[in-house]
Amino acid sequence: MIQFDDVRMRYSTGVAALQDVTLRIESGEFVFLVGPTGSGKSTFLKLIQRIERPSSGRVIVDGVDVGALPAEEVPSLRRRLGVVFQEFKLLPDRSVADNVAFALRVTGTDPVEFAPRVHWALEVVGLAGRAAELPARLSGGEQQRVGVARAIINRPSLLLADEPTGNLDPEAAWEIMHLLSAVNLRGTTVVVTTHNPTLVDILRRRVVALHEGRVVRDEHRGLYTAAR
Amino acid sequence: MSIEVSTPPRADGASAPAGVRHRPRRVVARAGLLGEMFREAADGLRRNGLMTAAAISTIVVALAVAGGGLLASANLMHLAAILEGQVEIVAILRDGLSAAEQERVATAVRRLSSVRGATVVSKSAALHRLQRSFGTPSSIGDLLSNNPLPDSVEVRVVDARQIRVVAGMVGRVSGVEEVVFGTPVVDRLVALTRAVRSAGAVLAALLGLASLLIIVNTIRLAVAARRQEIEIMALVGATPAFIRGPFMLEGALQGALAAALTTILLVGGYMALAAGLSASLPFLPLLAPAAILPVAVAIVWMLGTAVGIGGSVVGLRRYLRV
Repeated sequence: MIQFDDVRMRYSTGVAALQDVTLRIESGEFVFLVGPTGSGKSTFLKLIQRIERPSSGRVIVDGVDVGALPAEEVPSLRRRLGVVFQEFKLLPDRSVADNVAFALRVTGTDPVEFAPRVHWALEVVGLAGRAAELPARLSGGEQQRVGVARAIINRPSLLLADEPTGNLDPEAAWEIMHLLSAVNLRGTTVVVTTHNPTLVDILRRRVVALHEGRVVRDEHRGLYTAAR
Repeated sequence: MSIEVSTPPRADGASAPAGVRHRPRRVVARAGLLGEMFREAADGLRRNGLMTAAAISTIVVALAVAGGGLLASANLMHLAAILEGQVEIVAILRDGLSAAEQERVATAVRRLSSVRGATVVSKSAALHRLQRSFGTPSSIGDLLSNNPLPDSVEVRVVDARQIRVVAGMVGRVSGVEEVVFGTPVVDRLVALTRAVRSAGAVLAALLGLASLLIIVNTIRLAVAARRQEIEIMALVGATPAFIRGPFMLEGALQGALAAALTTILLVGGYMALAAGLSASLPFLPLLAPAAILPVAVAIVWMLGTAVGIGGSVVGLRRYLRV
């Protein structure tokens, strides 16, 4: 599904974000990326989305070398991915349903499909009854659930979540993580960056720890910090 | 909280069997995509009503300044052309030429390059003109026993700056005794009209440039206010063309709306000014509205829509690098 081959990423500012990262994530896996701020977690996700290109090495997603992907094929790569953001990134002047439909509308999906798919995605996240409301009327947890609905509406084979619980209280954080697990159970590969030890330790999924741009730990059913 | 992720529905409302991957999305035909772009553009203008109104008002001011500058510049040049058109050479003819000979001289002068026209003014016509300028038709005729004024040919030149050269050529025409033109006055006039022309061109260029920058910047700000929307579009897989399309349409629509309002302002203002001036200052001739307004309006529309679109493209460039 995802393969990093000896990937280095150095920004134009000179900051080395990733160094010699070699990693393979299989289809259907649920992976936590952990590590302190600046350890390279977000860069890891950006390379998968082709927001950045590796300085050297290869990033393969679904058999495609995304670093070498021509610019005109990047949108088609991104349509196969779902992304959840820490700060939700909802459009405040559009209803919940319009925010979810946004990912369909701007990718040229037949409008006939909008209503049933938006309804489905909102049902999945438990917000079908709030479709007409504006994001500002929802709690933080609910807004993030809208973010998840938008991320899954294109039925991605891979879902990336960058600190999805970073702005949420523990209960809402748990709901989001539960939701991501449910999405993963349907066969979608899920990669989540987090600073939340409780969630990682309870879920006991694969944990990849980064430190100063290097993979320092990769455990199948890991904990947030290395077991002593 | 219990969460169950079912299989996404099909468009016809039937559920796809569990575990079966949904059929590939139908991508709407190009016409549908264009329709969606138009819808996005109209939606964008509506949702961002206040920003749209602010942008259109700013563009109206910028276009009115550019259009006004153009009108002022065209009228300055028109005035310069009128002044230059009044520059004349008077060729004083040898005494005793018959009317036919005088007309032959005028014809020879007309054939010279840089001559726009030549008219014979007989000594009697010259006296008549002089009398009229004194106001009392009979006063000079009463004072003088015979007419002291010479027969002459009045020569109008194509370009006042060439007056010396033309005067030399006129002086060599057979039958011409002397050539008279107001050298210092013509020199000053030519300098003045040259300055007026340059000032007009610089005025139009500066105001046009200022308007261009204001419009581009206004649209850029309107685009910047929606950078999150653009970023999300790019991250969920909208193509750059799809992202640009609605914004370019919006830019064009804003520019066109502003151009329409500016047209009303310019046409109304200029017609009122032309009417007012012709009544109060008839010696200050403005270009006829029908002669200049279509050009000014066309430029305002082109500037409005083209720069509206250009501003959107420039504004989007930064956010499309995601």
